[in-house]
Amino acid sequence: MRLALAVVSLVVLVGSGVVIVDQFHSQWQDHQKAYFNQALGLAKTPAERAALDGRTPRLEQVIATGFGDARVDRCESCHIASDDPRFTQGKEPLRTHPYSAEMGDVLKDGRWERRHKFTEFGCTACHDGQGRGLDKADAHGEETEWPRPMSGYTTQADWDKNIAGHLKGKEFLQANCVRCHADKDFAGAPEVAKGRALFFKTGCFGCHRIEGISSGTLGPDLSEEGKERKVDYLWGHIVDPRAYTPTSIMPKFKLTDDERKSLVIFLKSRQGVDYSSSAVAGYKLAGTTNKPVPESAIAVESTLSTSLTSAARGEKLIEGYACLSCHKLDDHDGGISPDLSREGLLRDEQWLTDHFKNPRSRVPDSDMPVFGLPENDYRDMAAYLLTRNSPAPAATPAETYKNLCARCHGEKGDGKGINSTYIDPAPRDLTLAEFMANKPESRLINSIQNGVPGTSMPPWSKVLTADQTKGVLDYVWASFVKTPHRQLKPRKIPDVNPVAMTPESIHQGEAIYLQRCTGCHGRKADGHGPNSLDISPRPRNLRNAAFVQATSDRRLLESITYGVEGTAMPSWIDYGLSQNQIGDILNYIRSLNAEPKTGK
Amino acid sequence: MSTEKKSLWKDLMDLPKNIYRSIFRNPLPASDRGRAATSFTNFFLHIQPVRVNKRTLRPSYTMGLGLISFFLFVILAVTGVLLMFYYVPSTTQAYDRMLDLRSSVAFGVILRNMHRWAAHAMVAVVFLHMCRVFLTGSYKAPREFNWNIGVGLFLLTLFSSFTGYLLPWDQLAFWAITVGTSIAGYAPLIGHQLQFLLLGDATVGQEALLRFYVLHVVVLPIALVLLVAVHFWRIRKDGGLARPEPSELPAPAAVVAPAGEVVAALPARRFAIQGLVKGPLVKVGTLDDDTVFSWPNLLIAELFVLLLTVAGLMAVSLFFNAPLEHPVNVMHPPNPAKAPWYFLGLQEQVSYSAFWGGVGVPAIELLLLVLVPYIDRSKEGVGRWFARQRVWANTLFLTFVLVNIVLIVIGTFFRGANWQFVSPF
Repeated sequence: MRLALAVVSLVVLVGSGVVIVDQFHSQWQDHQKAYFNQALGLAKTPAERAALDGRTPRLEQVIATGFGDARVDRCESCHIASDDPRFTQGKEPLRTHPYSAEMGDVLKDGRWERRHKFTEFGCTACHDGQGRGLDKADAHGEETEWPRPMSGYTTQADWDKNIAGHLKGKEFLQANCVRCHADKDFAGAPEVAKGRALFFKTGCFGCHRIEGISSGTLGPDLSEEGKERKVDYLWGHIVDPRAYTPTSIMPKFKLTDDERKSLVIFLKSRQGVDYSSSAVAGYKLAGTTNKPVPESAIAVESTLSTSLTSAARGEKLIEGYACLSCHKLDDHDGGISPDLSREGLLRDEQWLTDHFKNPRSRVPDSDMPVFGLPENDYRDMAAYLLTRNSPAPAATPAETYKNLCARCHGEKGDGKGINSTYIDPAPRDLTLAEFMANKPESRLINSIQNGVPGTSMPPWSKVLTADQTKGVLDYVWASFVKTPHRQLKPRKIPDVNPVAMTPESIHQGEAIYLQRCTGCHGRKADGHGPNSLDISPRPRNLRNAAFVQATSDRRLLESITYGVEGTAMPSWIDYGLSQNQIGDILNYIRSLNAEPKTGK
Repeated sequence: MSTEKKSLWKDLMDLPKNIYRSIFRNPLPASDRGRAATSFTNFFLHIQPVRVNKRTLRPSYTMGLGLISFFLFVILAVTGVLLMFYYVPSTTQAYDRMLDLRSSVAFGVILRNMHRWAAHAMVAVVFLHMCRVFLTGSYKAPREFNWNIGVGLFLLTLFSSFTGYLLPWDQLAFWAITVGTSIAGYAPLIGHQLQFLLLGDATVGQEALLRFYVLHVVVLPIALVLLVAVHFWRIRKDGGLARPEPSELPAPAAVVAPAGEVVAALPARRFAIQGLVKGPLVKVGTLDDDTVFSWPNLLIAELFVLLLTVAGLMAVSLFFNAPLEHPVNVMHPPNPAKAPWYFLGLQEQVSYSAFWGGVGVPAIELLLLVLVPYIDRSKEGVGRWFARQRVWANTLFLTFVLVNIVLIVIGTFFRGANWQFVSPF
C-alpha cells in the first residue's frame, strides 16, 4: 500500500513538474534570447548596446484592426528580427523579412521603409496562420483542425501526399493580396489573374456563381470558397471531384498542374470579404439583379473583327469560349461531352439555338450549363456548327463504330465511353443481350437513324447511309450482343391508348402510379426513386417531355404491360394490373408531359 | 513584571502551536478514542463513519468507482472555475478564446485538457459505478431511494457533459449539439417545445450557447452538488455500503452476548456504534470483528484513489490534446454529424426509428432503472458480485448494458458518411 501510494504520488509530482516546466519554458523566449545575443554582437554604438542590455523576453504582438475582424498577431514573439535589417542572412525565425520594391517598399537614405508596415498589417493578413499561437505548430497551423495554415508554406498532416507537393510556394500568398487589391488587373497577383482567366476559359463560370463575376447555378456558389476550404481540398477537387463528393457532376477537366495552381490560388482568393470595399458597396453589389457578363465574352469579342462572316465568327467564339474544355471538335478534345465535329448533320439551327439558350429544353437531364452569352453569339456559333457537315468517310463498320459511337457507348460497347458519366440518360449498354435481342431490328435502326429525343443520342441518318447504319448494327450485334436475333412473338397491344384521356382516368392513373411506380421512378416521376441508385440501366425519367411525347402509345403500353427485358422494369400484367389500369397510368404520364416544352 | 514578561514570551513562543491547536483540535491519534475523535470532530471527515466495514475497503468490491466519480467532479469544478476566467459565451468570441487557451494562456492547455478528459471520464466512471451497484445488488432495500438519487446523478452528469460540449463553439460542438437536441425534438407532444426551450431558437445559435453556458456552470453543478450531498448522506443513513447479511457469511466464532453485558464489559467498543445508525445492538459482537477505524484505513484508501485519479488524468492530459475542430460553419455540416460518444448509442437507435430510438426505448430503460429496486424486493445476494441468487437480474442488466455499448461502438466506429455502415479496419 505504501509503495503504491508513493508511486502514485510521484507520478502526480512529476506530472505537475512537467506542466510547470512546460509552461515557463517557451520556444519564443529562447528565440528572443538568441536574438538579443546576436544583436549585441552586431551592435555598433554604445547606445544600441545599452538598449539591448536591459531587454528580457516579452510577448510581442500586433493588433491589426484594419482588415475585417481585429486580428492579434504574435508572430514577432519568435520572428523578432523580422524588421531588423541586420538579419538578412539570419536563420529562421531570426531573419529579416525581405524588402521588396515591387511590393512598394522604399529605400530611403540607406534604410528600407516598408509599404505594408507590420504594425499596421500584422502578419496573418498576408501569410495566414494562427496569429495568436505562441508555439510553432499552433502558429503555423500545422494541425489538421487549424482552419488557416500558413499559405504556401505549411502542409497539414491529413493532406494527400501527392497533392501537398503542389501547394508550396509564395505564389499562394497572392490569394491574400487581392483581398485588398481587388481590381482584376492588379499586377502584383499574376497567378490570381491567370486563375481568373482560366475560370472563364475552362467554362467554370457556366456552373459556378462568384459574386460580381459569374452567375452559374448548376454548381455550388464559390464566392466564399477560399474562406471555407483549404488549398488541398481545392486542388484535389479540381483533379477528381468525385473523390471528394461522390455524387458530384463536375467533370474532370484536362488541366496542367500550372493551370490547377492558378485556379486554386484564384479560388483561395475568393473569401467573401473584400477588405477594400465598404459594407455599403457590398450591399449594392448583392442587390444588383444584372447577371455579370462573362469576362471571357468581353475578352473574346474584343479580338473579333466586325468583317467576319457569321460562321467564321462562330468558329472563333467556339474556340475562344469554354466549349472545347468539354466538347470534342476535330483534334481538340475536352473528353467530357459529345463530339461536335459533325454537328451540322445531326442538328438543325432551331435545335442548336434552343440548346444554347437552355440545354435542358432539348435534353432535360443535360448537365451542360446555361452560359448566358449574348444572343448573337449563339446565332453565330450555331451557324458555324451547321457548316460542320462532312459525312462520315466510307469505312468499315468497326471503324465507324469507333469514330462515332465509342465516345459514349464505349470501345467495348458496355455503355461506358469516356463521356458516359456525364450523360443522362446514360448511353445504352449494348452488351445487354437480354435487352437488345428482344427489340425488333426496326426499332434499333430507328434509334440510330432518328436518334432518341430528349437524350444525347442524335439522329445519324444524314451522317450514315442506310447501308452503313445496317453495317454498324450488324457489327454491334456480332461484337457485343453476341446472341442470335430472336423471333419475337407478336403481342396484342393497341396502337392507341384505349382509355380516354379524362380527368378521372388521370386521377386513377396517379393513384396507381403512387402505389406501384414510385419506388423506382420516384414520386416526382423523374426517375430518381429510392431504388433507382441500385438499378442499371436507371429508371426512365418520365418527365422527359421530349422523350415521352415522341414515344408512341404502343411502345409505352408494351413496356408497362410486359416489362422491358434486360432492365428492372417488370411485367405489370403479371403483377395484377389490368389493361385499363395501365391505360390510366399512361394517361397520367402523358398528362405530366402535356405542356409543349419543346419545339416539334 | 518578569513573570508577565516571561508569560508573554512563552505565549509568543507557543503561538504557532496554539494556532495549530485551534485549527486541529486533536493531535495525531494514538488511541482508538483519538482515531474516532479525528473522524467525528473534523468538518471534512465527519461525513465518514468512525469505523468502517472491512468489506467496504476491499478494492475488488467497490473498485473505488463512486469515489473516482466524486474526485473527477471536484477536478471538473476546480478546472471549470479556472476556465471560466477566460471563457466568453459569445458566438463571436468563444472560439477565439479556445485558441487563446490553447496557445497563449498560462496553463491553458492542461486546464482544458484536464477538464475535457475528466468530463468524458466522469460519464464513463459514473456509469461503471452504476453497474457495480447493480451487479452487487446494492440497490435493494433500504437503499432504493439512494439508487434513484444515483440515477438522477447519472442523468445530470450526462447533461453537464452535453452542455459543456457546445461551449468551444467549433464544428464538433455545433453539430453534436444540433444532433443531440434534435433527438430531444423527437419526444411526443413536448419535443419541439423542449428543443426550443433548450436552444432558445429554432437552431443552435447565440441563445443556445448562452443557455448551455448557464446550465453548464451554474444550474447543473448546483444540482449535482445537492444530489451528491444527499447521496453521501443516504449512504450513511442507509447503513453504509451494502454488504451481505452476516448470516450469509461464514460466521466468525463470536459469542453473541446480551447487549448490556457487552457494552458494560468493553466500554471502548462503544465507539463502534458510532458507525451504525440502524440495527440492534446485538450485532455489535459480529460487527466489531469486521470493522476497522476509518482513520487511517479508509482515509489512506481515499487518498490513494484521489492520487490515482489525478495521476491518470494528468497523464492523459499531457499526452492527448482536447479536440478542437474548425470554427462553426453553419453551411458545412460534417458528414456524418455525430453526437458526443455517450449519445451515439441513442443516435444509432434514432437511425432505425426516430421516436422509438430517441425517446421510447431510452424512456423505458430509464423507467426500468428507476423502478428496479421496487420491483426486485428479494433480499438475497446483496453485497456480493454476481451473486448466484441474482443471476437473472444481472443477466438482464448486462444485456441492456452490452446492447448499449455495442450500439455506441457501432455509432462511433462503424458509421461513415450518410450514416452508412463502414469498416474502421
